[in-house]
Amino acid sequence: MERKWNKSTLMGWQFVALPSALIIIFSFYPMLQSLLLSFQSGKGTVYHYVGLDNYVRLFSDPMFKQAVLNTLLYLIIQVPIMLMLGLVIAHLLNNPKLRFKGFYRTAIFLPCVTSLVSYAVLFKSIFAVDGILNQMLLSLHLIHEPIAWLMDPIWARVVIITAITWRWTGYNMIFYLSAMQNIDPSIYEAASIDGASKTRQFFNITVPMLKPIILFTAIISTNGTLQLFDEVVNLTKGGPGNATMTISQYIYNLSFVYTPNFGYAATVSYAIVIMVAVLALLQLKVGGEKR
Amino acid sequence: MKRLTTAGVHLFLILASVVSLFPFVWMLIGMTNSSSDILKGRFSIGSKLMDNVHKLMEMTNLGAASWNSAVIAIIGTFGTLLLSSMAGYGFEIYQSKGKSRLFGLLMLSMMMPFAAVMIPLFRMFSDMGLLNTPTAVVMPTITTAFMIFFFLQNTKSFPRELLQAGRVDGLTEWQLFTRIYMPTMKPTYAAAAIITFMNYWNSFLWPLIALQTQEKKTLPLVVSSLASSYNPDYGIIMVAIVITTLPSILIFFLLQKQFVQGMLGSVK
Amino acid sequence: MAKKKWLSVFVLVTMAASLLAGCGSSGSESKTAEGKEAGNSSKKKVVAWAWDPSFNGAALKIAKELYQKEHPDFDLEVVDMAKADLEQKLNTNLASGVKEGLPDILLVNDPNIQKYVTAYPNTFADFTDKVDFTKFSPYKVEALKIDNKIYGVPFDIGVTGMFYRSDYLEQAGYTAKDLENITWDQYIEIGKKVKEKTGKYMTTINPNDEALTSILLQSAGSWYITPDNKGNFVNNPAMTETLRVYKAIADSGIAKPVTGWSEFVGSFNAGDVATVVSGVWQVSSIMDAKDQSGKWRVAPIPRLNVSKAVNASNEGGSSWFVFNDSANKDLAMDFLAKTIGGSSEFYERFLKENGGVGSYIPAFSSEAYGQKSDFFGGQSIYRDFTKWSTEVPGITLGMYTQEAKDALKNELPNILQGADLTKSLANIQTLFEQQVH
Repeated sequence: MERKWNKSTLMGWQFVALPSALIIIFSFYPMLQSLLLSFQSGKGTVYHYVGLDNYVRLFSDPMFKQAVLNTLLYLIIQVPIMLMLGLVIAHLLNNPKLRFKGFYRTAIFLPCVTSLVSYAVLFKSIFAVDGILNQMLLSLHLIHEPIAWLMDPIWARVVIITAITWRWTGYNMIFYLSAMQNIDPSIYEAASIDGASKTRQFFNITVPMLKPIILFTAIISTNGTLQLFDEVVNLTKGGPGNATMTISQYIYNLSFVYTPNFGYAATVSYAIVIMVAVLALLQLKVGGEKR
Repeated sequence: MKRLTTAGVHLFLILASVVSLFPFVWMLIGMTNSSSDILKGRFSIGSKLMDNVHKLMEMTNLGAASWNSAVIAIIGTFGTLLLSSMAGYGFEIYQSKGKSRLFGLLMLSMMMPFAAVMIPLFRMFSDMGLLNTPTAVVMPTITTAFMIFFFLQNTKSFPRELLQAGRVDGLTEWQLFTRIYMPTMKPTYAAAAIITFMNYWNSFLWPLIALQTQEKKTLPLVVSSLASSYNPDYGIIMVAIVITTLPSILIFFLLQKQFVQGMLGSVK
Repeated sequence: MAKKKWLSVFVLVTMAASLLAGCGSSGSESKTAEGKEAGNSSKKKVVAWAWDPSFNGAALKIAKELYQKEHPDFDLEVVDMAKADLEQKLNTNLASGVKEGLPDILLVNDPNIQKYVTAYPNTFADFTDKVDFTKFSPYKVEALKIDNKIYGVPFDIGVTGMFYRSDYLEQAGYTAKDLENITWDQYIEIGKKVKEKTGKYMTTINPNDEALTSILLQSAGSWYITPDNKGNFVNNPAMTETLRVYKAIADSGIAKPVTGWSEFVGSFNAGDVATVVSGVWQVSSIMDAKDQSGKWRVAPIPRLNVSKAVNASNEGGSSWFVFNDSANKDLAMDFLAKTIGGSSEFYERFLKENGGVGSYIPAFSSEAYGQKSDFFGGQSIYRDFTKWSTEVPGITLGMYTQEAKDALKNELPNILQGADLTKSLANIQTLFEQQVH
């Protein structure tokens, strides 16, 4: 018995070794370099060691604090909405008797393929002051004067959240749909015979069976949101004021827009790593992962 | 009552589809309009399609860029699928303490913003003399913690009895992987292929840094340079975007069947 | 058995890897082949990075044609990138210390000049003795000067004007005369009248874009930061006046709110606004609305109510740099100096073919710059723009322009909501100093 266990462990390393080595070479080695850089400061190519100064600076940096607050706000509001929506849609589309499901599936997936440039131009024109949305609301007499969506700190955040949800719901749906194919249909049949409603089946069968994948999407989305960049840069550039700026945008600014300080940018990057790692561990705990 | 529920479901899905498709339709309409009409928000089919296409062809070498993108996306997708599924399988089926720790560590790699590792990575590929090649673009993301994690989580619902049965039939561990695991997990591979292809096809930041000459550029790089002129022509940009988007949609069409037929039964 | 399978997978992976490497080596092969070819025909090729193929890329092509007349063995390759992409690639390349893949010639946006020269010392070639800089508009040369060395060749300028719809202003009872030499307060009064008579907005306003504040500051010879890179927000009358005017425009109701470039261009293409205060390069976007031909004119921009303020300013503009380590450094420098740095013919063609305006004074008296534009009702717009360009105050753009702009942007919503201006300016100053400490 003992020997067999050992053999099985060794067997496993054969599958794991090469992929892990590639990640170590192409991710960890550069990460180590940037860890060293996070203890340095300067501009361009001129750097010197400053110890923990960069990390101290983080806590007194109003721009960084603002970026963290904005990003966490997106995380708390947007991720649950998107995952629920994706899960419900996947569940509805997984019904073999549903008509037109191929069309729905494709349509809902499309936003994550659509190029950022086009969707930025489009979203801006929808949410422009004399854009389609304001015209609709005006003609329905829901508002008396047009709302400057992207210029109001609260509405601008709502627009960003809407945009991310629009773009990534179909993406998460794909993960759920594919995982649903691994659930034995006979489980649903048995439940139907026992008289369980569709809603009960969703909560009692689909959700528990998909738990690993739900956990997966939750961690991936947390990671994606903490690294959010595209939507904000293309829709609001971080404005009004810095009300919608994200941490990733701040890193980008520090590296490529401002007088480059790659040392401090590396420090901010490690702040993201730490936050995601903590949140991921928390999710694994809540998700009841036995590891 | 049942009818009503079905109608409700359709209503909800139609609404979701319209919201999702709207920008896409707008893009197709935009293709046929002039830049200033697009900016004015014109929402009807215009007559500028051929104009826009001709101008785009004059300004850019889309053929070469598509080829470059395709090479990177295809090699990258096959590589990622093979390597990541191997790892996901290995980590879940042959669990051990060491492997669990390693996996936890690997997860850290996806949490690092790419911009922060770009400079060391760039130095590395320069030292290897691989800059300006598809290899340089593909390698850093040929295995990602993200995809390993995806396979690992899906493997949790993989029926291990199948492996036991295979062992009884005298299959080796590698044969178990290629002959039993791979076919059973078709829906997972399909989803992974769609996502990976899309990621490579749309990848921007690293190709921008790693590729150096005009003739090596990928599609997103070409489209991006169109959009940044002092007086961007949105008609041309829309055509370019539609062309760039099509392959990803095609891949989705081809692989989505797996979500319908991929019922476990096929290997039972 | 298991070993065999393991081996076969290994072989598969190696094969994939060698396939990749194959692609790689074929790539480098084609590169060397090209180099050889170039060697055979004794052509000397210079590579340049630029960001707009129909503008600065096109300019390089004109320069190449001119230079090839004297140097038939000269060749030039232009690599086009988006501006933001170029800056990203450049910073990565320079910060990593990898010289491979850098071009010989680089296009630099003027506000970035000092940043690059300081952050990457000894990287860019000194042009001080290579070009006769007295032939260029002084403010443009000022931007290139660091420690009495001049680091590039001046290229396009963004001298500003007030583009206006003569039909709307006529309806509101104004003639061209009424728009000469006005102040911003007068501009706002005119705007109110235009709004009342025509229902059109006078202008657009975008709180996420610093274009207007930049134009206002430079028209008074001031900037967000001082020449020694300190914040220039407190005790700066030009800054106080700029923000007062900005708020007055926002409060007066004459400005249509827009949130991005496309919306901004859309607003005048659709005829929603009576004036556009912008750089000369805006001409091509304005002329895109062919149905508005003959209705547009250009006047000098309004003036701030502070001493030294003039009715002229600048928005944007760029210059050409050469890398010190470039193998073709001398050739690249000579190419730029003989064409963009000293050829009237170049600037005449650049204007005629691409609508680009430079700061090369000898070209201003040419026929090309005197041409009348039907779109602008027969006005010799380029003559006017170049006249204004000699009045633009010279300023030092400094290293931290973008940091300072972002600090201002952070406080701007409060200012627009009526916060005490002195206090707000002090906040901006503090935030800026925290950012660049």
